[in-house]
Amino acid sequence: MGITLTENEALSAIGLEETVDISSAAELKALLVKSLSAGKGVRISLEGAAYLDVTAIQLLWAAEREARGAGVGFVLEGPIPERISAALLDAGFDKFPITECAK
Amino acid sequence: MSMASNADQFKQSFREEAREILVDLEAALLELNENAGDKELVGRVFRGLHTIKGSGAMFGFEDLATFTHNLETAFDEVRNGRLEINSELIDLTLAALDQIKAMLEEGAGGAVPADAAACAEILTKVRRLTGPTAHEPAGEKAAPKTAATAGPVREWSIRFAPGPDLMLNGTSPLMLLRELRQLGGLSVKASMAAVPPLSELDPERCYVAWEMVLATAVGRDAIRDVFIFVEDHCELSIELAAGSGVDPAANAAVADATARGLDEQRSQGGGRRTYDKPDNASSLRVPAAKLDQFVDLVGELVTVQARLSELAARRDDPEIAEVSEEIERLTSSLRENSMNIRMLPIRATFEKFRRLVHDLARDLGKDVELTIEGADTELDKTVIDQLSDPLMHLIRNSMDHGIEPRDRRAARGKRPTATIHLSARHSGASVLIGVSDDGGGIDAEAVRSRAVEKGLVAADAQLTESETFALLFQPGFSTAKQVTDVSGRGVGMDVVRQRVDSLRGTIDVASIPGTGTSVTLRLPLTLAIIDGLLVSVGDACFVLPLANTLECIELTRADVERANGKHVANVRGVIVPYIRLREHFNIHTPRPEIEQIMLVETEGGRYGFVVDQVLGDCQTVIKNLGRFYRHVQVVSGATILGNGTVALILDPERLAADAVRLGKRGLLRGHSAAGVASRLGPGGKRESSQTNAA
Repeated sequence: MGITLTENEALSAIGLEETVDISSAAELKALLVKSLSAGKGVRISLEGAAYLDVTAIQLLWAAEREARGAGVGFVLEGPIPERISAALLDAGFDKFPITECAK
Repeated sequence: MSMASNADQFKQSFREEAREILVDLEAALLELNENAGDKELVGRVFRGLHTIKGSGAMFGFEDLATFTHNLETAFDEVRNGRLEINSELIDLTLAALDQIKAMLEEGAGGAVPADAAACAEILTKVRRLTGPTAHEPAGEKAAPKTAATAGPVREWSIRFAPGPDLMLNGTSPLMLLRELRQLGGLSVKASMAAVPPLSELDPERCYVAWEMVLATAVGRDAIRDVFIFVEDHCELSIELAAGSGVDPAANAAVADATARGLDEQRSQGGGRRTYDKPDNASSLRVPAAKLDQFVDLVGELVTVQARLSELAARRDDPEIAEVSEEIERLTSSLRENSMNIRMLPIRATFEKFRRLVHDLARDLGKDVELTIEGADTELDKTVIDQLSDPLMHLIRNSMDHGIEPRDRRAARGKRPTATIHLSARHSGASVLIGVSDDGGGIDAEAVRSRAVEKGLVAADAQLTESETFALLFQPGFSTAKQVTDVSGRGVGMDVVRQRVDSLRGTIDVASIPGTGTSVTLRLPLTLAIIDGLLVSVGDACFVLPLANTLECIELTRADVERANGKHVANVRGVIVPYIRLREHFNIHTPRPEIEQIMLVETEGGRYGFVVDQVLGDCQTVIKNLGRFYRHVQVVSGATILGNGTVALILDPERLAADAVRLGKRGLLRGHSAAGVASRLGPGGKRESSQTNAA
């Protein structure tokens, strides 16, 4: 379980690793709020993630909505791991909150 | 460990868990009796019955599971609004719980086996209430696989919106969806409509809701069962989808999916949901006997540690002294910890009397409510274990004799519903347990007349109110004009006294005619080890419980002269009466020039106990003095000191009360405890045996 942050003046790169659930939701929210309120673009990496629970999913969804409204970039870095996308589909998130993937 | 002993262990674990659930069920049912519309309580009862049924079947209690299934079905009908809660259903379920308890104890040395005829009668009556359609055979619910593969496939529209606190109790909505998928073909759509802006979003709350369509052969109840533990924390609707009919083509595929899912469920957790039970790894269930053994060993360790401290003091060796101090510190922590492990809140003991009050009120035709105060007060497990009987007798007595019949209460302008109030609170090293009622009070004159009639007191005896009420606890004493099923034989109050005596407690009765009666049991917080203050008078050592002790001040001969020989001391402008232990216990040794007054707090106010020397604090392992000294009320036990001598542990409350009593009668002189001290010999050494010099 873990959240990593790498940032510069224009971008925050947030890495989600292993299980991201209610126990790390407050931390994830704080990072997202801080980055977006500073007007930075956000890159999310799910490569190391094994499981996202609903608290993480709704945070990413809300952050993406906010970024879109503010005209700030909010993208996934790399493809969504199969285990995550399958679980998301099973849970009814047919379109993952973040639709744009950075290549 | 063999498979058989493993199975026994599982059965035992189930029994222990089920006992706890039964206690909770009883409390919930009694609350439900007062608040019939409380859906949370209905859910609590349903879940309790469901768990007992499910776990019972799993651990081989088939009869218990089948019997409980019928009750569960009844409460499912209540949940679904098809059956109303009434006192008949409550009483039937309470009676059923008694049978479940008996079934549970069968094979575990249970004294009263389940009554098959009574069980059958209960079920007949429950079925009459619910109607025949509500009761499918028990096996159908216990084995949903059969139902799933056998029934027609239908489509169900399910809407599930978690409530604000669903995530906080450890439930994962995604796990619920996964479990739902095991019942058949599921299409799911997550709705994000309720997700607020990021800054307003509570990260620990689920805002997502789900709209689902489930094609399955199982019925609504089986679907609802997936949500059984979260139903009170979410919005849930399960409806047959419009136009849903039997689809023969889909039937086989869905049945296969269902069977696969159920197999998976079983292989993962024996049919139990992962969120079924919170993670209990942080607590352990330990047999009480092991705990008693542990505390006994700690007691022995405390005694040996006292010897080591004594030795270290005599040797005057800094290295030994250092080790001794370290061991003393560790022993003290160990003792405190072991005592804490034994401390339990009295809540469970109090709560179980709700049932007694409910049943007695019904049998006696009285309206009585039980109120509870201080249920979180903790006291030693041994004390709690022995409290049930005295409390039961006191409550029965109050219900039968104290609380007036409805018409008499009405005539006295009292509330139709009478109250029995149970309370608990700490007071120094004691705990006070109160049983009070707003009944007719005790007729002191009737008590006195009956006592004279029975030859317990002389006709011209002058008795205080307290002495009069104490007669109620004499063996065979009863003022009841007739013996009822509930009380009146004069046995109960005697049991109360005996049990309280054995706990080294006291009983105080206060009563106002026409208004009510209050019985207070003062019990020691623990029966094992206490913090004490070691004091000496002449060659004798005594221990005062530290919890009662306030401070120590000097008493010079000049102070005594200034008070004109009266036993009072001026403590920073406050006059405090004192009791000189030398006089109270008839100890004939010269008085030192400067004595010490130990100030203690008692229920009756502050008192001083005058001693020769304060030797220091000590961890005190309480040893019972045995039956021979049971009438020596001012001493609550004895302890063995580091040098092998015995010190008596004083009971400040009783000592103060005793001194006041003797003072009033002008009899303040040698007390029988002196006999104990002298029998224990000079310095309290056990090997000596002298006759009482008093």
